[in-house]
Amino acid sequence: MKLTEDDIYRKSSQYKHWSFTPTQLALLRQKTNVQACERVKANVARQRAQRAANALEGFNSASDSERANTPGENGSGNGTPSANGNGNGGDTPLRPDKEVDCLTVAEEMRLVDKFCETVLALAAFIGAPADVTATAIQFFRRFYLYNSPMTYDGQVVARTIMFVACKTDNFSITLDEYIAKVGVTRDQILAPEYLIVQALRFNFEVKHPFRGLRGVHLELGEMLSGSWMGMPFDERSKEQRKQQLLRLPKRAGGKEDNMTERDFGKRLEYVYGLASKILKETAQLTDAYFLYTPSQIMFAAQLLADEPVTMFYLNTHIPSPAIYPSSPYNKIIDTIRACALLLSSHHSYTASSVTPEEKAAKDKQANQEIKALLKKLKQCRDPDKIDLVKLNQAHKRDAVHAGELEESKAKRRKIAREDAEKQADDFWGAELHKK
Amino acid sequence: MSKATPRASNAPKQRLAEDGGASFPLSSSLRKLSLQQQQSADSPSDICNVCKSSRYLNPNMRFLVNPECYHKMCESCVDRIFSHGPAPCPIAGCKRTLRKVKFRSQTFEDLKVEREVDIRRRVAKVMNKQESDFENLLDYNNYLETVEEMTWNLILEIDVPETNRKLKLFEAAQKAELNPNATFRPIDDQPNTSTLSDTSHVVLKKGGTQRKALATSFGDPFGGDDMAGGKDTGFVFKGLKKREAPKPESPFDPFDGWSVDAEHYNLQDNYDHQWIQNFKTDPEYYAGGWIQKDYWNRMMMEALGGMAIFIEDEIVARENAASGDAGVGTENAAGAALGGKDVDMMDVF
Repeated sequence: MKLTEDDIYRKSSQYKHWSFTPTQLALLRQKTNVQACERVKANVARQRAQRAANALEGFNSASDSERANTPGENGSGNGTPSANGNGNGGDTPLRPDKEVDCLTVAEEMRLVDKFCETVLALAAFIGAPADVTATAIQFFRRFYLYNSPMTYDGQVVARTIMFVACKTDNFSITLDEYIAKVGVTRDQILAPEYLIVQALRFNFEVKHPFRGLRGVHLELGEMLSGSWMGMPFDERSKEQRKQQLLRLPKRAGGKEDNMTERDFGKRLEYVYGLASKILKETAQLTDAYFLYTPSQIMFAAQLLADEPVTMFYLNTHIPSPAIYPSSPYNKIIDTIRACALLLSSHHSYTASSVTPEEKAAKDKQANQEIKALLKKLKQCRDPDKIDLVKLNQAHKRDAVHAGELEESKAKRRKIAREDAEKQADDFWGAELHKK
Repeated sequence: MSKATPRASNAPKQRLAEDGGASFPLSSSLRKLSLQQQQSADSPSDICNVCKSSRYLNPNMRFLVNPECYHKMCESCVDRIFSHGPAPCPIAGCKRTLRKVKFRSQTFEDLKVEREVDIRRRVAKVMNKQESDFENLLDYNNYLETVEEMTWNLILEIDVPETNRKLKLFEAAQKAELNPNATFRPIDDQPNTSTLSDTSHVVLKKGGTQRKALATSFGDPFGGDDMAGGKDTGFVFKGLKKREAPKPESPFDPFDGWSVDAEHYNLQDNYDHQWIQNFKTDPEYYAGGWIQKDYWNRMMMEALGGMAIFIEDEIVARENAASGDAGVGTENAAGAALGGKDVDMMDVF
């Protein structure tokens, strides 16, 4: 009846539902993209047909501008509540013969990455701590694994996801404070909330590598002061281990060094800061969370920050195959290196080789590409899902569906409900119903 | 009155009647005149047998009985006689000691029924075996028969002291079987006070000598000899299963026996790190029950937990296991497990 720390992670929803192989991830994105494209095309075609029909009618009766302002009329003609969105569809230009040009998977990913950066900026703006920010970004990436940016607008989703992440990670901020900071209405935050939470399968826990990084540095500090007791397979004494640590080369493959304890402490501090920065930014903007475990991501970031120290640490914790032939040492190191490669390939990871000018040029080019993509996105949005607030209202109580509930009745009910709510606030509660 | 105005012709005959003691005509006429008799003719149960007062004069009168002897008397008599403690029953010929607390109003009009119900209740409290307690139906039926026989013995007052003794012993044996570790007071082998017929005096407390005698006769209550097999349990029923006392509850374990045994790290009892020092001394943390070691454990758990999980291998293995022999490809399984069905669910709009 013993569990290892790996088994604990296997019980998490992150491992059960949100870990993928690269192939799976690609297939899933492909599938989401195909489904979204089909839906967009069908909805646009339907909308065009309807507009054409209305235009034909319009020659006989009303003017075009009037019709654009009466979405209810359009809805009743169609009979589906989703047609309520047509009121905004009036903005899209009428291109009768042109096929809708949908985004590709790569373009979608690019946009999602871009929106993730928006979330980062948003989090910095409202002053959310690192783990809340990271949770929000992971929620966002999870959401767009099963949904396309063509269906739901990244900007809208990002705002709500940030709010949800604040709630799940105990960064308490009221809705009123939040909307005051972000500058939108309550409904704009709340309308997509249930949709998002559902798409996240109510898996609110995201396991982050931040605390693990602290743990590693806690032990490194102990090693440095010569008081770390070590693993059972390790036969070195505390002092030997300390001396080896101090003699570690500065860079991988470099020559042996001999630092003082104080200098090495500073080195560790620097490593911690760098690894932490990589985890907070680069790791969030890649697929690392889907492909690796938080521990592996953390060691990858640590490896990028200081390879000799990280390798020394891993050697003290995992027995090498020379001692135990069945030890997964090599495999673990390979996985961590693969993860490090993924992190370092992201553009936000600024290795010392890139000069500021080069970086600026790259950013500029990326910005232009993003701008083009956003323009393209505008042309291929799903017309049904543009106004989430209205859609949400249509789902709520007393929504006026065509022919379902008269407006006066709905109004009467609303007044009665408000009365009851007001009475419920009284000291002795609401009055009992009279028979 | 009739005596005062005798007719001359009838006088000797009347005197004769008086002298002969055959006062029937007179007494019956008196009785007819008397209030009491009038009442009793009306309803004989409305007169108190002790003070002879009747309900006619006091409509609020209540009659009480004591299950010791079931003699009926009015509430005021009970108050009067028994307020100062136990006293013998005032009804002539009944010498039982009654206590005030035991008096109650009767449930059944027929006191015989009342008594039988009481006896049956008392017996049923002790003899509460069920069919499942016996090995077969025959044994259970034999048991029921014994119980019924004993009940009727008590009702018909045959062999009462012996039956009561057996009942008490059996009850004690049952209790001892249920909880063998409990210590019980030695069973008073004296017959039940209800069966006392000729002790006219009231025994309130046992005197010192009596107590001593009792103690010596029962010996040490902790002595193991009476718990051994030779003990008299009153009744022996064939086929009665041995009752097992429930096992003492083990302390609650929220993890159901599971524990975490770290594979990749050794948690130390103490770590000295600069940003940990503050927490060690800050009452804001330790006052709320924040345990330093738990936090270290959590840090190390998150640092190394999952390090040896190779997602690619494990997920492929997981899906192969999920798809089984049905020949469904990995992709289909992935679709079904990860999103295929749920895509519709998520789409609330």
